[in-house]
Amino acid sequence: MSVVEVDGVWKIFGDKADEAIAAVRNEGLGKPEVLDRFGAIIGVKDASFTVEEGEIFCLMGLSGSGKSTLVRHINRLIEPTTGTIRILGEDIGAMTSEVLRALRAEKIGMVFQNMALLPHRSVRDNIGFALELRGKDAYHRAQLADHALETVSLHGYGDRLPSELSGGMQQRVGLARALAADPEILLMDEPFSALDPLIRRNLQDEFLGLSQNLRKTTVFITHDLDEAIRMGDRIGIMNDGEIVQIGTAEDIVTAPADDYVADFVAGISRLKLVSASKIMVKVESHVARYGPIDDAHEYPTARPEDDLDTLVELSTGTELPVLIRHDGNTVGIVTKDTLLHGLQGTEAQ
Amino acid sequence: MSTIAAMSGAEPREVESRDVSVTLFADRNAAYYGSVFERLQKGELPFWHMNLAGLLIPWVWSAWRGVWLMFWVSLALDMVGLVCLMQNFKYGPLLADAHLDPSANAILIERYTRWLSVYNNVGIATLILGRLLIGLQANRWYFKQYSKWRIDEHTACGVETRRVVIAALILVLAAPITLYRSTQQRIDERACFNQVRAIDGTQRLLSRYGVTEVSDLTSALADRRDRLVTERATLEANASLTDDQKSRLAEIRREERQLRRENDAVEDFKTVSAKDRFDCLFIDDFPTLARIDPPEDVTYRRVPDEDAIAQGRSGATKVIRQVKDPVEGRTVNIFTYTAESIDIGINFLRAQYAGIFDALTNVLRQSLIRVEVAFMLTPWPVLVGLAMILAWAYCGTGTVVFVGASLTFLAVFELWQIAMQTMALVVVATAICIFVGLPVGIWMAKNRIANWITEPILDVMQTIPSLSYLVPAVAFFGISQPPAVLATVVFAIPPMVKLTALGIRQVPQSTKEAALAFGASERQLLTKVELPMAVPSIMAGLNQTIMLALSMATISAFIGAEGLGAIVTAALGDAQAGKGLLAGIAIALVAMVIDRILKGIRSSLSRI
Repeated sequence: MSVVEVDGVWKIFGDKADEAIAAVRNEGLGKPEVLDRFGAIIGVKDASFTVEEGEIFCLMGLSGSGKSTLVRHINRLIEPTTGTIRILGEDIGAMTSEVLRALRAEKIGMVFQNMALLPHRSVRDNIGFALELRGKDAYHRAQLADHALETVSLHGYGDRLPSELSGGMQQRVGLARALAADPEILLMDEPFSALDPLIRRNLQDEFLGLSQNLRKTTVFITHDLDEAIRMGDRIGIMNDGEIVQIGTAEDIVTAPADDYVADFVAGISRLKLVSASKIMVKVESHVARYGPIDDAHEYPTARPEDDLDTLVELSTGTELPVLIRHDGNTVGIVTKDTLLHGLQGTEAQ
Repeated sequence: MSTIAAMSGAEPREVESRDVSVTLFADRNAAYYGSVFERLQKGELPFWHMNLAGLLIPWVWSAWRGVWLMFWVSLALDMVGLVCLMQNFKYGPLLADAHLDPSANAILIERYTRWLSVYNNVGIATLILGRLLIGLQANRWYFKQYSKWRIDEHTACGVETRRVVIAALILVLAAPITLYRSTQQRIDERACFNQVRAIDGTQRLLSRYGVTEVSDLTSALADRRDRLVTERATLEANASLTDDQKSRLAEIRREERQLRRENDAVEDFKTVSAKDRFDCLFIDDFPTLARIDPPEDVTYRRVPDEDAIAQGRSGATKVIRQVKDPVEGRTVNIFTYTAESIDIGINFLRAQYAGIFDALTNVLRQSLIRVEVAFMLTPWPVLVGLAMILAWAYCGTGTVVFVGASLTFLAVFELWQIAMQTMALVVVATAICIFVGLPVGIWMAKNRIANWITEPILDVMQTIPSLSYLVPAVAFFGISQPPAVLATVVFAIPPMVKLTALGIRQVPQSTKEAALAFGASERQLLTKVELPMAVPSIMAGLNQTIMLALSMATISAFIGAEGLGAIVTAALGDAQAGKGLLAGIAIALVAMVIDRILKGIRSSLSRI
């Protein structure tokens, strides 16, 4: 069972939402036409995806692409126009507000781009906010909050006010607040976008480490493809409210679904993303063209899942191509030409 | 060169490219304006450079070119000049009259001659200098408009006959009537009222006598008078009269008086000329011609209910309604009608809901007495100590000194107890302001319709002169402390409400969203997020409210509030400047002491 299931979600802002959906479905209207004809704005257009337990799912898109709107459907901060969202198998659209509030406080933690800490409360009280809302007593709140502070390496800052902390530290507090109630799901809405690059990198690494330990199911929003590739087990790319492609970083880089995605991935380094199996020439076609391989034992070898970085390492200092071997059989061959084309992202001749 | 290139000002341009845009803008005579604008930009335009059209026909030129500011300025200047010259028509005849008897009217002749020469000089000077100014400025203003047009394409450009037509209409509507007015003497205040009455009266008479012409009416009236005179003469000829005849005689005399009034009205009507009517309609006050019957003169009174008391309910009362006969022929304008209706309404509410008002008065009076007792019975060292400690804890040394000095002032001038009375009133009023203002402010911040309703009411409360609601307050609650408290509340509550609403609205959407995302309910959102974050704003509102309440002390003293304000009003009545000043300074000091201490507390709060 998937932890988060989003199925056919539409969000149209405006009075004539239903007519607008019908028109988009039947006539394939674009954003400007819908605004013109119905005075409605398409926030999310027929989005479906699932997130498995412990997985980090990145939603990537430019600002205005509807990613923040979509993530707010997962804890129903925004009601979908149509479509269903299931959390741990339960349809949250059918929940009463009481049950929904319990779900938000206990099962889903959220981190915001602008931290959104409460300025009048100490760091500890900020972290214990969700617990306080559920009526937890002050003693246990403080214990859990201190534990969460330790998790994000801010031990000892509990009695400070948020304004006394730097931006990076504030976002750690935001993360600690999301983790305090030990929820199953984390929603991260561009958590690191407002930070400067070094701190962002630090926090990304730290969050990756955390997430390997805690195995939280995470939906991670970003407008930065590098970040999406670093963080995400899978990536969904959004454009104009629509998810145009879902896949692993390698899928997206090697087989972009359309020009929009292709534009995005054009500048991405493929060294660590693309595996040998994607670029190798099948051994049969190589043999058919150039004849059988002699002295195979002298050739450097690699596995199909090894990335281009490894192949470059193997190819330097030798003129010989790299053999790709799987289960003791040679399945493919990577010549220098193939490797260079693979790095560039162009087809070998 | 394309138009687009010409309109972008960033890159260096050829002279031709500017010409394109000037041609587009100026339409006619573009070559002239092109060179003028160029010289203006280079700073080569001499200060005496003049636009001849601006000098000679400024209204037409500016309207045609759409330089509306210049149109209005030139129109105003010309009108001022012409109005001054028009005084010749006003004082010329008067001067001529006076000259008929120069020896008796020496003073008048001298005065009129002086006035006329001043008016003539000013008028001619205004016309000439005004035109010169417009002529000198015309091209410069036009260049400003050109610069504006280059930024905003909606700015008027080119030449348009339509605009000239509009300008002509404005002139036709405004100029003749203004000039005519300046030649006329001021109309007598009652003249227009009498005119309306004469016209109305004559219309009524016409319909009563069933005639259409005024001349017929005059003869009808004369006929009737003749008949009455004859009848009276016959009766008076008798040596002795029966009772019937005596009463008939009295009736005839009454009718004759009535007839004389009617005759006067008709005579007045005959003297009303078309010019008089025009003057009253267009150049006098705005014509409020509507005259309606006044509302029924009703009084409501609450009296002991004898029936109910007889049935054993002691102390039972009921409202009785007394109607006075209307005054014959009295008609009032809409203002008076509405004012009297409001009076009757207040009277009714006061009588009908006497219990509620009395109870409210009682609650206010009791709480006021309690607070007053608290302030006045607490020994002065305790209160002084408290104020000093607060000042020391929250503010700097300077404030401590100031608070000490202010309180010493009150003590030395023996105003302490009286100041405590004022304090009691302020405290009760402020408490009401908080209890009412805070919820209303929250409601206003949360609900758009509430905001829509409350906003104008608060604006009225802030701007309406407080003296004008003192009167109804007295009508409902009598002259005493409670209405003074209520009037203070009305005056002081708006900042409390507005700043509470502002504080809550200022809470960032993202913070509220975060609270909701962690499972906050609406109530938790309010109590744990919005209200705490609005505290600095609410405290600012509280501070404002207290200051306003103190400044109301004097005005509410008019309806019976005790304390420092009462000294001021008494001093005003007796023309004792010193007393009033000292009491006024005492109010200011009390206000400043509270303000400083509250500010200290506030800043220590907002430090969080």
